[in-house]
Amino acid sequence: MGSASKLKASPAGVLDVDAVRSATLPNGLRLRVLPERSAPTVSYYTFFQVGSRNERLGLTGISHLFEHMMFNGAAKYGPKAFDRVLEANGGHSNAYTSNDLTAYYEDFSAEALPTVVDLESDRMRSLRLTEEALEQEREVVKEERRLRTENSIFGLMEEQLEALVFLAHPYRWPVIGWMDDIERITRADCEAFFRTYYAPSNAAIYCVGDVDADATLALLAQSYGDIPRGPVPAPVPAGEPPQRGERRARVRYPAQAPALLAGWRGPPAQSPDAAALDLLQVCLAVGEASRLRRRLVVSAELAVSVTISWAWRIDPGVFFVFAELTPGVPLAKAEAALWQEIDRVASGGVTADEVRRARALLRSSVLHDLGTHHGVAHALGQSEALLSDFRQAGQALAQYAAVTPRDVKRVAREYLAPERRCVVELQPLSGKEATR
Amino acid sequence: MTADIVLPPIHRERLASGLQLIVAERPGIPLTAARIVLRGGASLDPARRCGLAHLAALACRRGTARWTGDQIDLAVESLGAELAAGVDEDGTYFGLSAPSEVLPRCLDLLADVVAAPRFPAREVERLKRREIAALAHDLDEPAVLADRAMLTAAYGEHPYGHPPEGRARDLLRVERKDVARFHAATFRPDGATLVVVGTVGAEEVLALVRRRFGGWRGGATELPAIDSPPSPRPVVLVVDKPDLSQVQVRIVSRGFARRSPDYYAGMVASAVLGGGFTSRLMEAIRVNRGLSYGVRSRFATSAAGGLFYASSFTKVETAAELFQVALDETARFCEEGPSAEELARTQSYLCGLFPLSLETHDQLAERISDLTLFGLSEDEITAFRGKVRAVTAEDCKRVAQAYFPVKDRLLVAVGPARAIARGLERFGPVEVVPARKVT
Repeated sequence: MGSASKLKASPAGVLDVDAVRSATLPNGLRLRVLPERSAPTVSYYTFFQVGSRNERLGLTGISHLFEHMMFNGAAKYGPKAFDRVLEANGGHSNAYTSNDLTAYYEDFSAEALPTVVDLESDRMRSLRLTEEALEQEREVVKEERRLRTENSIFGLMEEQLEALVFLAHPYRWPVIGWMDDIERITRADCEAFFRTYYAPSNAAIYCVGDVDADATLALLAQSYGDIPRGPVPAPVPAGEPPQRGERRARVRYPAQAPALLAGWRGPPAQSPDAAALDLLQVCLAVGEASRLRRRLVVSAELAVSVTISWAWRIDPGVFFVFAELTPGVPLAKAEAALWQEIDRVASGGVTADEVRRARALLRSSVLHDLGTHHGVAHALGQSEALLSDFRQAGQALAQYAAVTPRDVKRVAREYLAPERRCVVELQPLSGKEATR
Repeated sequence: MTADIVLPPIHRERLASGLQLIVAERPGIPLTAARIVLRGGASLDPARRCGLAHLAALACRRGTARWTGDQIDLAVESLGAELAAGVDEDGTYFGLSAPSEVLPRCLDLLADVVAAPRFPAREVERLKRREIAALAHDLDEPAVLADRAMLTAAYGEHPYGHPPEGRARDLLRVERKDVARFHAATFRPDGATLVVVGTVGAEEVLALVRRRFGGWRGGATELPAIDSPPSPRPVVLVVDKPDLSQVQVRIVSRGFARRSPDYYAGMVASAVLGGGFTSRLMEAIRVNRGLSYGVRSRFATSAAGGLFYASSFTKVETAAELFQVALDETARFCEEGPSAEELARTQSYLCGLFPLSLETHDQLAERISDLTLFGLSEDEITAFRGKVRAVTAEDCKRVAQAYFPVKDRLLVAVGPARAIARGLERFGPVEVVPARKVT
């Protein structure tokens, strides 16, 4: 890992984590406030330390379904009130659930802060979970699953791949959950889930923007202080047996051309190798000058697109490569070219110029992310949820500066080894086969 | 949220060639956005050459007198910059996002790409093959298919009636000489605008742009005027995709051009009907019935006309129900207009949201350059809140009655025709087309 001093030497305007005021209430709720007055707006994030990794079979998808339930009314602000009050105050909100965490945000004009705190603390204190709301959200989530998974080629393939990469770890199932489990979740399940995972002791608040730190901390303490602490959540079964050879699955579905999704289990977010894999990702597949784009898309015309997704997770996550092939190209041919390029990095490494290019692109991307109140609040929350320290949000550039070409080669060899890969093939069905 | 939006000081200048420069100096993150917009875009595609403008925009960065395409890619990315090119129905765009300290080098590349591309035949042919292959993949995206079918059915033979990415059969006909001719005829500095927003000194940027773009000449022919498009055909178009378990839905009617006096009233009325999370459609479709995960309505406004449309999706079994609920809610809105509370809430929502859409340098550069395409200035940004606040309930009702899909409307459904077509007959004459006929 690099040192923090390098970031300090970088241009002004980048995140200064020393300016974040932090406190922990007696009930365990963590508060982080960053006054930043460049625009008269505020971004307010609430992170709950719960995602699909905290679920069990039979109740997969409850984290995500529960996220929907948070918008259906509490003691003070009843059904439909949350968004109405917020919108009437010029704000908007949304939320997302991942494998590791659930995050809610509101972006609004600074004068609406007391209203937003009142809305958020109301639902953390006294969420109303009714049968009626559960049935309606269940249908909405089923439509979401139909949209993103069952009628999406990438969604279908991704679901198969996670189930190949993980045998034992809860990352095995999709965040949205299996359809049968979505059907099965009861109100009592939701009540228990709320008591444990939505207690202040399992949450943190990030408030970034045109605010006064002292006044905001006082307001938060006053608004949330009386909510009781919750039980300690059950530990996550994080074990995973070693992989001793390639694993493969095939999806047959109507499509114009084959596609290929490959994945390898990477390191956890806490590992210094996570940043090296970010650089590997850029060397391989970010930008027109990246290796896989040049080979698969430009010179050999085997694929229409090739992308890599490497998202840091609390436990070892997945390094995905996805390629949509050119119609008519055999899958085996594209696969061979892909393995060859990965092997070329693993055995020959990348050049110093390639690493410089990757660093330059990552720096711009970090600056982009930190260019808005929303982006800063999210970066602080994500760092604390994944790395147990919001200060890590200010470390990204230093981490990238510390990665050498040799590190990139090593992580390619170590994590992307052929015997550790998992492959999902899309085998296109013609229209006739599909309608049978 | 009643205050006017304050923009950074705007510097403008027009070069002898006619190129308009707009520079906004902003503090903050050390990045800069530069965006060139040229008039025309996909509406200039010749008959049987749909996709030519799109291909020309992409091909510009595949080689100039000084650099090959690969060299341009490598140079841009090694500086930590991004260079994107694309078209919509009214314009061609080049968007650059770069660390401020490398702006001079990036503007050098941008000027070369826009003004002096060479269109190597090999690169043009390769791009053609890739775009045709990419269009094939679009067939597998139900939402993309629905949008493409909507555009074609709504605008018909009008120059807006094809997707900007073109059609595979037309792209096959395009040759290198078509691309070069298109560039020579339509990439012209008079009528083009370069917007630069970021942590840069305005004087320095103006001097730089004068040097880099001063020599750009070209495009002698006048661009054709685009007629106002006809109303969408009132049919129920079922795009048959037998494998889907969820139907993509579009409800479409005639809208208005960006410069229409109805613009702000239409935006507010549409937001009440199908904007944020508390809109009428959201409440009726998602909150009360659990029919869909999402539903939205909007006016899509172009230079010569526009569309109003609502989009959603639902499982095959409830496709007709979703259409019915959406149409009933729309009709009810046309009769009643918004309540005082709905109107005030929606106005606050739109006014509160607006500054968030201008936060990054890229967003502001895009917003300003889009306005220039319609002959509008950044006053539209600063006066936004006042104009939204001035809309009355009566205005909303009037634009709803004038434009919302009540009588003459086009319905599009992408899904298994065998399961849904009959149920949709109650909404009008049904036409079924196989998905592969859409692109």
